Amino acid sequence: MADKKKKVKKPRGKAQLITGKCIACGARCEAACPVDAIAMNDKGEPIIDTTQCTGCRKCVKICPAEALEIYYTPEELKILAELEKEKGGPAEVEEIDEEEAKQAAKLKEYKDVWVFVEQTEGEPATVSWELLGVGARLAQALGVKLCSVVVGSKVEALCRESFAYGAALSYLVDDPIFLNYRTEAYRDAVCHLVKTYKPQVLLMGATGLGRDLAGAVATQLATGLTADCTGLDIDDHGFLLQTRPAFGGNIMATIVTERHRPQMATVRPHVMPMPEKNASRKRKIIRESLKVGKADLAVKVLEIIHDSKGKDAVDVTAAEIIVSGGAGMQSQENFAILQELADELGGVVGASRRAVDACWMPPECQIGQTGKTVGPKIYIACGISGAIQHLVGMQSSDIIIAINNDKQAPIFEVATYGIVGDVFKIIPAITRRIRELRTQK
Amino acid sequence: MSNSIAIFAIVFGASVLLFCWSCYKRFRLITLGKPENRFSHVGRRIWSMLFYAFAQRRVLSRPFGLNHSILFWSFLCLLVANTEFLLHGLFPQTIALSLLPAPLYYALAFIFDIVSIVVLICVANAFSRRIFFPPDYIEARSRDAFVILSLVAGLMIFFFGLHASEIARGVEGAAAYMPISNLAASILFSGMSEHSLITAAEIFWWGHALILLAFLNYLPYSKHMHILTAIPNCFFQSLEKVTTQPREEFKKGNAFGVENIGQFRWNDLFDSYSCTECGRCTDVCPATNTHKPLNPRLIIHDIKENVVHNGPLLIKGKKPVLPLIGGDHEGSISEDAIWDCTTCRACMEVCPVFIEHVPKLIGMRRYLVEMKAEFPEELLNFFENIENRSNPWGIAPPDRVKWCSDIDVQPFEAGKTEYLYYVGCAGAFDSRSIQISQAMAKILNAGGVSWGILGADEPCCGDSVRRLGNEFLFDRIAKNNIQLFQERGVQKIIVSCPHGYSTLKNDYRQYGAELEVIHYTELINTLITEGTLQLKDPDGLGKVVFHDSCYLGRYNEIYAAPRQVIAAVSGQRPAEMERHQANSFCCGAGGGRMWLEESRGERINIARVKEALGENPDTLCSCCPYCLIMFEDGLKDEGAMDRVKALDLAEMVAGALK
Repeated sequence: MADKKKKVKKPRGKAQLITGKCIACGARCEAACPVDAIAMNDKGEPIIDTTQCTGCRKCVKICPAEALEIYYTPEELKILAELEKEKGGPAEVEEIDEEEAKQAAKLKEYKDVWVFVEQTEGEPATVSWELLGVGARLAQALGVKLCSVVVGSKVEALCRESFAYGAALSYLVDDPIFLNYRTEAYRDAVCHLVKTYKPQVLLMGATGLGRDLAGAVATQLATGLTADCTGLDIDDHGFLLQTRPAFGGNIMATIVTERHRPQMATVRPHVMPMPEKNASRKRKIIRESLKVGKADLAVKVLEIIHDSKGKDAVDVTAAEIIVSGGAGMQSQENFAILQELADELGGVVGASRRAVDACWMPPECQIGQTGKTVGPKIYIACGISGAIQHLVGMQSSDIIIAINNDKQAPIFEVATYGIVGDVFKIIPAITRRIRELRTQK
Repeated sequence: MSNSIAIFAIVFGASVLLFCWSCYKRFRLITLGKPENRFSHVGRRIWSMLFYAFAQRRVLSRPFGLNHSILFWSFLCLLVANTEFLLHGLFPQTIALSLLPAPLYYALAFIFDIVSIVVLICVANAFSRRIFFPPDYIEARSRDAFVILSLVAGLMIFFFGLHASEIARGVEGAAAYMPISNLAASILFSGMSEHSLITAAEIFWWGHALILLAFLNYLPYSKHMHILTAIPNCFFQSLEKVTTQPREEFKKGNAFGVENIGQFRWNDLFDSYSCTECGRCTDVCPATNTHKPLNPRLIIHDIKENVVHNGPLLIKGKKPVLPLIGGDHEGSISEDAIWDCTTCRACMEVCPVFIEHVPKLIGMRRYLVEMKAEFPEELLNFFENIENRSNPWGIAPPDRVKWCSDIDVQPFEAGKTEYLYYVGCAGAFDSRSIQISQAMAKILNAGGVSWGILGADEPCCGDSVRRLGNEFLFDRIAKNNIQLFQERGVQKIIVSCPHGYSTLKNDYRQYGAELEVIHYTELINTLITEGTLQLKDPDGLGKVVFHDSCYLGRYNEIYAAPRQVIAAVSGQRPAEMERHQANSFCCGAGGGRMWLEESRGERINIARVKEALGENPDTLCSCCPYCLIMFEDGLKDEGAMDRVKALDLAEMVAGALK
């Protein structure tokens, strides 16, 4: 007579709190528990009802501080040890949670790395090419394709240009209705593509258009979006690591979109390097179309008014490097030396209020409390005293270089580098040196 | 004769009915306004009415006001005469001046006669002024003005004509007591036949009657409605000086600010009816004086026009057709004008009938800011910085103590420090104003005052926010600040900035805060007169010209203390600019304009600096960080920085301490 061994149910253990590790994140464990076995105490720590706990481990996985662990009673430990002996190997409590499995399978459907190519009236935004550069790296790390997404009217040439910058494939939605950007139309086009082709990463430039579109798309797709990233990487689990400054730039936060796809991020222009262009690359274009009727769109483009000053207009808010002059410049002619330096550095010339009031510079260049607020990479303040009314317009610059012959000038309190001296000697000297360095290169 | 009476009765009845109907039509529009209690303390109100309306107190503050005052008193007098005249026309047998006891009859006849010629002279005076020497701040040659003056002149002429013809006929009993009429009789009517005299009298009588009734009916449609409304408006004036604006209730479904006239308070609408269009507000307005769109008289006029045009529609529940804000035409106020106001209060200070200009403008600002989010771009940064960082420049709050990093300053602790020295945002962050705070620290220590500061916890008072119309943000600020003061046990506060001073003292009271707020000028004055502060002999100040800051002077009537301090420090009282004390000219930074660009007209601060330079000062002294910033900028622009020093009073005192 064969003695059927009673199948012993593998004990799953119970969850318990590791004292002191709880960070009171806001009751995520309570929310995750499928059997309502967790209640929160006054300090925001979990109290686990062991009679209810099934050992499903959902709370353990969701805890951001790893403050929950599974424990086994001595009897359970004995059973586990016996099972281990039977199996002849370590019994790993491999939880194949059905839900988890489904989720993982869903995520696996999302494959490629996509970059949205922004265009205005057929002109591409260069940030799109920069994103292709970083996208290529991400795609390689993930072992997937890098694709570009182009939406517009008669913009096929941009698909080909994206190949030159490294895209392996291009998705094109080309229709007259996309001639001028409108949120709804573009959003629907991009979402349609995403739903059809399922990319795991979607990158857009953090321009005005990009910010508008990215938010709309992310909302429609109910996925996560990290804006203004300064770094993008792939981690060991294959997640996109989205890094950006937080808390006023005091810390760098790395954000991961674990459970939703596509992982969306926007990146500011000039943050990522421009990749090399290889015009000889030829790849496939996949054309998609969708029915977007004019009547469906709430926004109608009535008229397009071009900025009369055109591309030559100085926009201090967009500049990365600003050479700014104040009362210390003493005359309009003297601003020429600032312009020279700005040209060498590829920046623009700004002005404080006194310079604008004296008509040395136009009002669009005024930086300060009642002028423009700028946050360039480098702000060179020449002959500017640094009164609070000016500081408020430029104090968020990354690097501030101040040149003033008054040692007590308040500008030196905020400057990264300060030179006490004659601006009329120093600026030309700097310009000269930069030219030298350039020719040496 | 009975036919004549009957006709007159009909005419009289019709005129009076028409007048009543016009008044009803106009005055019921006042009910469109929101409720406001202007009926409390009746005794005080009657006294105000007597003092300001009947005694013409403010009208007389300008020389030509004498002309008006005489006209006014004459009118009151002739009110009796004309009432008798009209009633006599209805009941000639029972009501007549001649039926009074003889001494009274003669006395009245004499008075009326003299008064009428006085009126005629005053009217001629007014005519000639408007034609030959019109002041530029009013629409001197308006149709309205000439019509009214003509009607009044007509009334007087017909009065004399009537009495002269009756005297010439010999039927006037008091002829001996009516010198002017007598004169007119002998010059013009002697030698006329009885018949023609009777006809003449008849003509003059009817003429007088018709002009009178026409005038009565013209009143509600002209600026002379002020005859009916000016005296009540003095009754309805705010019993306290208007230094704040009313609170708003932030409940879902409420509308905020003033979009159309229905959102003004009823007394604001009554104000617009009371305007005499004298233009004195315009004359003193810093914006108008520097050629900006804002014209206070036109603001009130446009509100009245708007009430008259839109009122009838609103009463029926229909939508208004004339927009209050934004239009270019009469009855509409441009947004530019609304933002031009520096809330200096000069307009309200001179208005003879106590119209409140500033709350109306701020009401409209509230609508623009809170309902439409339509305000000058520069304010975006400003509001955000106040909301996020509790100061206009968006600097990290811990930096608030940087000004005293080199000196020993105690944190405020209830029980240990008696006074809180409220540094203010400018005093903490602006490099020039920091010197005021440092001077104050020196003075307070030298004076042995027990004081401390809130440091990084010190919040912005919210003055600019409220004056710019962001009442929602101000509401939050005020409540937070009062709570903070309560928690810290703050009861006595010394403030250097008049804006902070006025806000903490006046505006916060609306939230139930009972704080004892002291401006440093008064404190220093007390310390000096007590002898606690020892001063050196004056040195290097030269000729000191003093500027009365709006929020110190007009708002809180502190005029004497700073002058006494200057006298103590410099050895003599300061020189005064022509526009000084209650007539002082704004520096241009109030009303939130510190944070706005001034792109139209001349710069207000430069206008004031030029006025100061006219006195050839060595030192330009003020008691406000805004004024100091504006004057320094102005002096720089005028290239006068080497000749004139702009100093705050605290700096002067600190420099003079032994």
